[in-house]
Amino acid sequence: MAATPADASSSSSEAVVGGEKSNKMITLISSDGESFEATEEAAKMSVTIKHMIEDGCADDGIPLPNVPAKILSMVIEYCNKHAADADDTNKHVADPADADEDDDNNNNNASAGEKEDLKSFDASLVAVDQATLFDIILAANFLSIKGLLDLACQKVADDIKDKSVEEVREIFKIENDFTKEEEEAVRKENAWAFNE
Amino acid sequence: SSLPQAQPQRASNGRKQTQRGRSDAFRRSIPLAAPPFLAVVGRGATAMAMSKPQQGDPAGFLDLVGPDLSACVFARLQDPADLARAATVSRPWRRFVEGNGFLKKVCVRKFPELAVLTAAVEVRRSPAPDPGPVDANAAAQAEHRIYSHLYGALVAAGPPADCILHCVGASSTDNFPDETIDNTLEPQDRVNNRFSYWSSAGQDDPNVPETLTYRLASDICVVDEIRIQPFKAFFQIGHPIYSSKMVRFRMGHCKLPRPSESFITDDDDNQAVIADENYIWTYTSPEFLMLQENKLQTFKLPRPALCIGGVVKIELLGRVQKQATDDRYYICVCHAQVVGRSLSPVFMVDINDSAGYSILKHLPEAKNLSVEEVMQDSASDSQEWKDALASYRETSHLATALMNVLHEGAAHPAQDQQGDAPHFPHGAALLQEIQAMQGDANLMQQLQVDAQLLYLLQDGVLQLQDDEDGLQAMDEDDDADGGGVSDNDPFA
Repeated sequence: MAATPADASSSSSEAVVGGEKSNKMITLISSDGESFEATEEAAKMSVTIKHMIEDGCADDGIPLPNVPAKILSMVIEYCNKHAADADDTNKHVADPADADEDDDNNNNNASAGEKEDLKSFDASLVAVDQATLFDIILAANFLSIKGLLDLACQKVADDIKDKSVEEVREIFKIENDFTKEEEEAVRKENAWAFNE
Repeated sequence: SSLPQAQPQRASNGRKQTQRGRSDAFRRSIPLAAPPFLAVVGRGATAMAMSKPQQGDPAGFLDLVGPDLSACVFARLQDPADLARAATVSRPWRRFVEGNGFLKKVCVRKFPELAVLTAAVEVRRSPAPDPGPVDANAAAQAEHRIYSHLYGALVAAGPPADCILHCVGASSTDNFPDETIDNTLEPQDRVNNRFSYWSSAGQDDPNVPETLTYRLASDICVVDEIRIQPFKAFFQIGHPIYSSKMVRFRMGHCKLPRPSESFITDDDDNQAVIADENYIWTYTSPEFLMLQENKLQTFKLPRPALCIGGVVKIELLGRVQKQATDDRYYICVCHAQVVGRSLSPVFMVDINDSAGYSILKHLPEAKNLSVEEVMQDSASDSQEWKDALASYRETSHLATALMNVLHEGAAHPAQDQQGDAPHFPHGAALLQEIQAMQGDANLMQQLQVDAQLLYLLQDGVLQLQDDEDGLQAMDEDDDADGGGVSDNDPFA
């Protein structure tokens, strides 16, 4: 379900009676006062939020003073996408007795396709400028969303991997504060890594 | 549960904030024009960067996300080269990479046998000045430097050679000492009209394994592959080949104190020493299939392995060939080689299990030592340097003995008064040639790793010492060739 900014004053809970999973909506409020809605299921991908819900702090919406709106909407997008995936996986596994060969193949193809879909979603989510990427890392850490934290950290690592020192300085806007002698000395110590 | 405590935070970009809750009280607004704000952002950091990292900040994102999250990023760099380069980006990056020991962790992950080493020290030639207070930074820096050099040495393309120095012993030997493991150092299956091979004792059960244990040229060698030629018994009907079914390799160190280390001799098959309980094996290879073919078979390790401690054990698993005369299974090996490179004297290990230490020593100044400098200490050298070189000389008995012989030969080149031919006519020339080769390569290292050459040279030298006829024959051959070195010359 897409998260939509809602009127700050509305409380939005739609409890659905029956069904296996509660479709209760949780309101999340960014540091700059914007409200976002997410299913409880998606919201619970954040362990921090999960604890708040379980402790009964979520009824009036959850303020997140450390997460600006731009980042929060991306986080919710991630949670929605990955919560849905987890759900579908569960559904596929739900009735193994009923599955015949054809079903299995279909299920496998579907999950393979979904995995690809998820991968490209993840890739585009972190294909952002440096500042946003680090904001995502901080938010994922604060909200305890392991998958998102891993994803964003890996992206930063990929920006360091196999790059020359000059490229790394360029990408991360790092000023070289070595003296000439210092830099020569430290390069010499790690000389084998520079044979390009 | 309450809201997490907010830490002092980075500048906001002035967006209108309609805050609820208590966090307002903790917020500070910092003008954008202020210099980069290097607060220590601790565990569970909740600081949010509303603005882009300032241009020209040596720390980059390290301060932005804090040390724990930065470590999450760096822990994902699994290539030592990436970490080595990261340490040269800026001072804060260098401190971060070195301080967290990322490079060592990655090296140990790639070469798990390194885990046996619990400390790493640098050994310098000049006596160290008074150390002063213990500096954790300096220690972390030194460790990073040592492992960086080690990894560089590991991946450097060097000339691979046979690293076997001595035979330690075989699990069993038929007809000792005729069929001794020592014969496996000789590449030919025939020497002086005698067959040269090792044979195990006979067994009725084909599953009984055998082992061949060797000592390498130094205590720290990188091994790429092991080659074994099973023996084809030409003197038996059907020319049976006594290969094993499978083969596996272990590498490690001996727990016994070094001075009491013994090797196989013609009188003593050294059984007491090769018992498994005397060794710690830090690397075990997968099992390889051996072919029942009379050729030098190459068993290439899935990745280069570090032999820390200098001991290699070849395990011969399963027997395939019975001997017709006694209907028992035997395994016979004509030749064995452990192919790789020694990393000494630039790197050495000092392992003492009973005293409880295992140290990696780095001697960067040992890279271009001359032979004389290796053989003899200078009075001005530090004690640590002298100790390290002493132990290096000890591990290379053969090379040392040979160098002494060659030096002696060079010292007495002239004919004696009776006009007899000099004892080492070609030895002196060889020595000169060897000394001329001393370019970049460390001579001792060259000699050491080519154990085959040493073995043959030593044989040749001893022959010349005892065998006047041999000397005569050599001189005659030499004349016949018009002054060149003949094929029969052991120095050739």
